[in-house]
Amino acid sequence: MKTESTKVVNKLGIHARPAAQIVKTASKFDSDIELTVDGITVNAKSIMGVMTLAACRGTEVRVTARGKDEDEAVDALIKLLESGFGED
Amino acid sequence: MEIPSGENLTVGMLYELMWDKLCLESVNGSTGHDRKVLSPDISRPGMALTGYLHKFLHERIQIFGETEISYLQSLSEREREEALRNIFRFPVYCCIVTKGLAPPGQLVELCTSKSAALFRSRRDTTPLIHDLCGFLETVFAPSTNLYGTLVEVYGAGLLCTGKSAIGKSEAVLGLIERGHHLIADDRVHVKKIGNSLVGSGDPGMAHRMEIRGLGLVDVSAFYGIRAVKSRQQIHLEVNLKEWSRENQEFDRTGLFQKVSTILDIPIPKIVIPVLPGRNLTLLLEVAVMNYLLLQNGRNVPEEVERELIGRILAKESGTGNPRHRHTGGGIEDRKH
Repeated sequence: MKTESTKVVNKLGIHARPAAQIVKTASKFDSDIELTVDGITVNAKSIMGVMTLAACRGTEVRVTARGKDEDEAVDALIKLLESGFGED
Repeated sequence: MEIPSGENLTVGMLYELMWDKLCLESVNGSTGHDRKVLSPDISRPGMALTGYLHKFLHERIQIFGETEISYLQSLSEREREEALRNIFRFPVYCCIVTKGLAPPGQLVELCTSKSAALFRSRRDTTPLIHDLCGFLETVFAPSTNLYGTLVEVYGAGLLCTGKSAIGKSEAVLGLIERGHHLIADDRVHVKKIGNSLVGSGDPGMAHRMEIRGLGLVDVSAFYGIRAVKSRQQIHLEVNLKEWSRENQEFDRTGLFQKVSTILDIPIPKIVIPVLPGRNLTLLLEVAVMNYLLLQNGRNVPEEVERELIGRILAKESGTGNPRHRHTGGGIEDRKH
């Protein structure tokens, strides 16, 4: 299992478009991947789940992956979150 | 009779397909019926008959309305002969005399000797021209053949595409079972008519389709006339694509509308990943319902996005219960 945390940096937080980027990225990996925000954990491959987090800027997001490509999966998602999804 | 394409349309085919609607009566038998119709437009030869032959549009069907006939009647026999001979120096191939008027004897003779078809119609000139041009526009419309299945679902034309053996035909068979209508399987002939795309099937195949493992089946024999249709405007394309972990191009929200361009006309395109056990029939039906909802002004993904952004911003500023806050705004500031 691999876990890493980061903060949401873009102004509008994890709204639907970033959520779509998250699930697309997560779905490329074989590992089970979860996101935890404010004690709520959701499947990172589920768009509905990721959207219900309604994570705003500055929120801490914990990425947890279990599986053979868990390292790459966590790296990719942390990088995506830190990129601000190409938004302000 | 199958509607031919523009380059194949002969005067005889035009007569056979349209005599009823245009009330055409052949004056000189089948003379000129093997000649090709060269243009989707028509010509009123009035000016040419008066002697102005510059830019005479001889490649078009010539319509003799009341103006032309009464002008010819106003001339002496010799003048009339000359006026008509002038236009028959060009390769005129089809003349229609409208309003139930009698074609002058010289016109009949010239048409026959120059192997041009001559028709008369009791219909008024303008409505006849409208119907004739409507028909010619359809025949001469740009067209193409697509690999896919066309089915009408709740009034919308759904073009289902995807690799061979992905399950298009089975999915469409399911749609027919649910009361929708098959237009064409496997090969769809598409015409660009005005700004819309109209699809039809191969008349020779007459609503038969191949179901892998069963072979050829006849949809109209199973479900009757209510299950089939000869042509349909195409509104959207659903592309069935094999699902793979590497390929994550599928739209998970519906916010990213794809477009398919057929004969320069864009239509919405939805890519659906195919996995064992997915109910493709249901997915196709929902894709159409979603399209119809969008046409009705309901964009559900954008609604969700707007609400979500409202909730996130409320959370960030820590105001009130985010679920009950007004959720407008936010997305309008963003560039799409």
